[in-house]
Amino acid sequence: MSGSIQVRGLSRTFHTTVRRPGFAGALKSLVKPERVAKEAVCDVTFEVAPGELLALLGPNGAGKSTTIKMLTGILTPTSGEARVAGVVPYRERERNARNIGAVFGQRTQLWWDLPVRESFAILRDIYGVPEREHRVRLGEFDELLALSSFWDTRVRHLSLGQRVRCDLAAALLHDPPVVFLDEPTIGMDVVVKEQVRGFLKHQVEERGRTVLLTTHDMTEVERLAERVVLINHGRLVLDGTLDEIRRRFGSTWQVRATLADPQAAIAPPPGIALLRREGPQVVFGPDGPGAPTVHQALKQVVERYEVTDLAIDEADLEDVMRAAYVQAEAA
Amino acid sequence: MSATVPGGWRAARVTPLGELHTPPRMTAALLRLVVQVVLVASLWRGLYATTGTTAGLTRDQAVTYAVLAVLATRIRALDQYSGRDTVQQHMHFGTIVYWYLRPLPPQRYYALRALGEQLYGFVWALTGYAVCLAVGFVQPPGSAVAAAVFGLSVLLGQWVLYYVMLVIDQLCFWTLRNGAAILILVFAQNLLSGVYAPLWFFPDWFITLSRFLPFQATLSVPLSLYVGRIPVSQAGPQLALQAAWVVALALFTRLLWRRAAQRVISQGG
Repeated sequence: MSGSIQVRGLSRTFHTTVRRPGFAGALKSLVKPERVAKEAVCDVTFEVAPGELLALLGPNGAGKSTTIKMLTGILTPTSGEARVAGVVPYRERERNARNIGAVFGQRTQLWWDLPVRESFAILRDIYGVPEREHRVRLGEFDELLALSSFWDTRVRHLSLGQRVRCDLAAALLHDPPVVFLDEPTIGMDVVVKEQVRGFLKHQVEERGRTVLLTTHDMTEVERLAERVVLINHGRLVLDGTLDEIRRRFGSTWQVRATLADPQAAIAPPPGIALLRREGPQVVFGPDGPGAPTVHQALKQVVERYEVTDLAIDEADLEDVMRAAYVQAEAA
Repeated sequence: MSATVPGGWRAARVTPLGELHTPPRMTAALLRLVVQVVLVASLWRGLYATTGTTAGLTRDQAVTYAVLAVLATRIRALDQYSGRDTVQQHMHFGTIVYWYLRPLPPQRYYALRALGEQLYGFVWALTGYAVCLAVGFVQPPGSAVAAAVFGLSVLLGQWVLYYVMLVIDQLCFWTLRNGAAILILVFAQNLLSGVYAPLWFFPDWFITLSRFLPFQATLSVPLSLYVGRIPVSQAGPQLALQAAWVVALALFTRLLWRRAAQRVISQGG
C-alpha cells in the first residue's frame, strides 16, 4: 500500500464565542453571544511521498496540530481534501486508523494502571495483529528503544522518556505505513531524544514508513528531515528542502576577514555583500537569492583580497527558522 | 499489515488487571464492603427490633434487601478515576483522540471496558453474597424460579445501570467535566434505586415518581424479586419494564455517541 499523504487546499475554520471583559461584558456575552470565525488552517497544499519524512514547522498556533488532526481523521476540514495512503481520513476514520500511527506529544495512549506490555497486548487485540508478528515487532522495537528494561512497569511509574518511547512503539505495533508525530520529543533529555531520532530514522529508511513530524527542535529537523513545510497563521509559507529555507530566510553565513592592507578598496564579488567594515576587519554576507555557499564565498574572498585572518559564522537552523517566522509574521 | 478482524476483547481486562496490580485499592474496597455490610445489617436489625412487618417487609426480608443492595453497589463502584480512564479525564487530558484513532469504535471500547468492570465487580458481589449467606446476613431466595427470575432481573438491572452511567459520561463531550452530574447521579441512584432504603418505605408519590425513572429498574426491582416483596407471578411486567428501559436508553445513548463523534471531529478532540 502506498503510504503517501496528499493535501489539497485544506482549510479549517473554528467558530468561537467572544468573551467580553468585565461583569457587564460577561453578562452581554451570556445573553447575546457574539460568534467569530477563526481560520486555523487556510488553503494548505502539500504532498509527502511514500517513505519520506517531512517536518511540518511553524510557530505556536500556526495550525500544525489542526492539520495533523485533519489527516488523522479526528477533525473534518471546512474545505479542501486530504488523502492518507489512499484513504480520505475524515470520511473513513476506521479504515484510516489501520493505516496510521500517531503520537500526540506527552498525551499517552497507554493504560495508566497497567504494565506497558499489557497496553501493547490490548492494542494488538484491537488492531488484530497476529501473536507471532506482534512478538517479532516488539523485539525489534526493544532493540531500538530498549523497552524491555521497563515494559513490565506500570505506566504511571514510567519517566517521561520511557513513556514516550513506549508510546512510539504503541503507535507502530500494527505496522502502519504512515505515522504522525506531533512534537514527540517535547520535554525529553538529549540522550532519549537521540534514541528516538535513531528509531524514527530506522522506521523511515529501513521500514519505508512515511512520517509527518511537527517539532520546535531544529536539531531534530536537521537530523531527520530533508524537506520541510512551513506554515504560519494557517497558511503555507514554504515547502522545500532545508537548503532552500537557509537560502531564503536571512543571512545564513558571515565571513569575517582581516585584510593585510586596512585601506584596500572593497568591491565584493557578485552575490556577496559587504556588511560591515571596522578598520582592517571586513564582514561579508550573502547578497540575494543567487548568493554563493559559505565555502564558495570564502574562496572568492581569499582570491580577491590579501587576508591575514579569516573566520566563518554560520547561522544555525534555529536562527534561520527565527528569521523565517519573523518574515512570515511581517508578511 | 494484518487483515484480521479486530476484536478488542482484551479491553475488558483493563479494570480487573488495574485492580489486581493495585493491592491497596483491593484491601480498601474489601474493608469498606465489610464495614458497610455489618453496619447495614445491624441498622436494619435494630430498626426491626420492636416491630414485625413494615412496608410489606419482614425483618429478614429487609435485612436481606439492604445487605444485597450494598453488595450490588460494589459491581460498578470501582475507582476508575485513579486509573485515569474516565471519559472526563480523557477529555481533560486530550487523550480522547486515541479513542477515535483506533479501528475499534469508541462505543464498543466503552462497552467492553464496562463489561470487564461489571464482571469483576460481580465476582466481588458473588463472593460477598456467599459469605453473607453463610453468616446469616441474607436469606436464600424463596424458590429456584425466584432465583432464576432474580438472576435475569439483575442482568437487566445492570444493563440499565450501564446505560445510565454512559449517559453521565457522554455529558463530558459537551461539558468537559461531569463531577457535579456524577454526584447527583450517585445520590439519585442510591435513593431512587433503593440502596439507602427499599422504595416500599417511601410515600406513594415518591414511588410513583420513581416509576418514571430508570433507577428502580437497576436495583429495587431485582432485590424486591429476590426477597419476595414482588411475587414471581408479578415478575413479568417488571422484567418488561426493565427491558423497555434497556431499549430506550440504548437508542438514546446511540444518538449521543453519534453527536459526541460529531463534536469531537468538529473540535478536534
